[in-house]
Amino acid sequence: MTEKIIVANKGMVRAEFNFWVGRYMDKFYDGLEQKKIIGNKCPKCGDVFVPPRKICGKCNETISLEQNWVDLAETGTLVNYTITPYKVNDKRGRKAKDQIVGMVKIDGSNTCIIYSLLNIKPEEVKTGMKVKIEWAEKPKGAPSDIKGFIKV
Amino acid sequence: MEKVGIVGYNQVKLYSDANYGRYEMIFEAVRGAMDKAGLKKKDITTVISCTNDYYEGRTISNCYTVDVGGGYMADESKVEMDGAHAVLYGLMRILSGNHKLAVVWGGSMASCFPYHSTRLFETDPTWERPVALVNDITACGFQMRAYMEKYGVSAGDIAKIAVKNRKNATKNPLALAEAQNANLTVNDVLESDIYADPVTELMVAKPCDGVAAILLAPERQALKITDKPVWITGVGYNQDTYYLGDRDLSKSNSMELASKTAYSTAGIKDPKNEIDVVEIFEQTACEELILTEALGLADNGKGINLNSEIGGELPINPSGGGIGGNPPCATGLIRIIEAAKQLRGEANGYQVKNANKAIASGQIGMCAQNNIVYILEGGN
Repeated sequence: MTEKIIVANKGMVRAEFNFWVGRYMDKFYDGLEQKKIIGNKCPKCGDVFVPPRKICGKCNETISLEQNWVDLAETGTLVNYTITPYKVNDKRGRKAKDQIVGMVKIDGSNTCIIYSLLNIKPEEVKTGMKVKIEWAEKPKGAPSDIKGFIKV
Repeated sequence: MEKVGIVGYNQVKLYSDANYGRYEMIFEAVRGAMDKAGLKKKDITTVISCTNDYYEGRTISNCYTVDVGGGYMADESKVEMDGAHAVLYGLMRILSGNHKLAVVWGGSMASCFPYHSTRLFETDPTWERPVALVNDITACGFQMRAYMEKYGVSAGDIAKIAVKNRKNATKNPLALAEAQNANLTVNDVLESDIYADPVTELMVAKPCDGVAAILLAPERQALKITDKPVWITGVGYNQDTYYLGDRDLSKSNSMELASKTAYSTAGIKDPKNEIDVVEIFEQTACEELILTEALGLADNGKGINLNSEIGGELPINPSGGGIGGNPPCATGLIRIIEAAKQLRGEANGYQVKNANKAIASGQIGMCAQNNIVYILEGGN
């Protein structure tokens, strides 16, 4: 058996994608820039989505861009969490400092968003606890405007 | 459903870092399946492969696998999900009435690409991906916590599944060596490094290198090829919603609905009593319990009470399951092969007694977003 050699052609081609966020997410990101959370509501089942959706998959209905918007609080409930030493965006799957990642249901919504839990020790984290958004100092209308959640 | 038979199979030994390339591995799996069944290249009427362009590092990844996978100048196409989904496509090709022999193969080499990064690339590029907190690692942590908190199941109970599968894997010579452990204890599993709390390293089906192949034929053809065909008598598949935060991760709605379809096609009314052996593609020990319950083999939250050892009331993953080795694009296909081995009495060392009906399942997506279930039956 010979040793395996992997040749990577670095820099030959960079396939970078552009994604159109769409009008619904555009409005949502405008909200984030103002440090506001807005969701939208399915006219049929009444579920409130954060971030907003154009289509409710369950009802197979379009949620109109003109109405159904719901202004929501910056507080929510920690529904679930995990703690991992792995860096999620690391290509080599390396480990770093433990990171607490929470699934938070923003008050008044029916879906959860996933962000870091900040300024908290692992042993203090409990599902069901109330949390609120820690905003970026200078929001720019991007997912990173929410730095994470802190305990209320 | 018209009878479609599994008339051959082959799987390469799984390695965490194989000393040979994809070409050879695919050829070994496919040619091996053909040789074992006594068939030639000219007998192949269609080839369905299962690879993923991100995993292979090239677009339209079946373009380079044609020659080694039996697809040279043949009717050939690809499924980019789990190998178990490729079997569905193969099944449909046979049921169309136009084909006498379908080769279905799937696999990849996780040692050659950043697996967890490709899983991050499953997430929404305009929302979750830039923040980079969701991939298969964090997803399985959420899933296990949701299950434990909903039903009050302990990590120690869940660790028993990892012990069982790693012990079973020692009897399977094709399993991943690093996954095999006959002397593992629940404490060893609990004390292994944190993967994504509460999931520990030894609870995880680690991605590895491997390829598997299966041969499908219509009933009349199947009986000419082998005196030990395994019949696909039922299949069901179902897809859950996309965002992880929309789902109740303590259970699997998509597996529940998929299994209902599969059972009704196969005429199974009481799966727990009618099925003799089960092969599930589980990404973690906890997921095996969730999927077992969704299959209706145990009540919700009670999966651990089912004795699923080889020789137990309903053996689950006697081969070691996904924890015994998880080559992306092959793992679900290997579950089908392992179930077929049981029905043919070829599971040397981990054979379940009197195995006549089996369940085999595959999956794709975060926390088994999409599930596919097969009912297989032995005998002529």
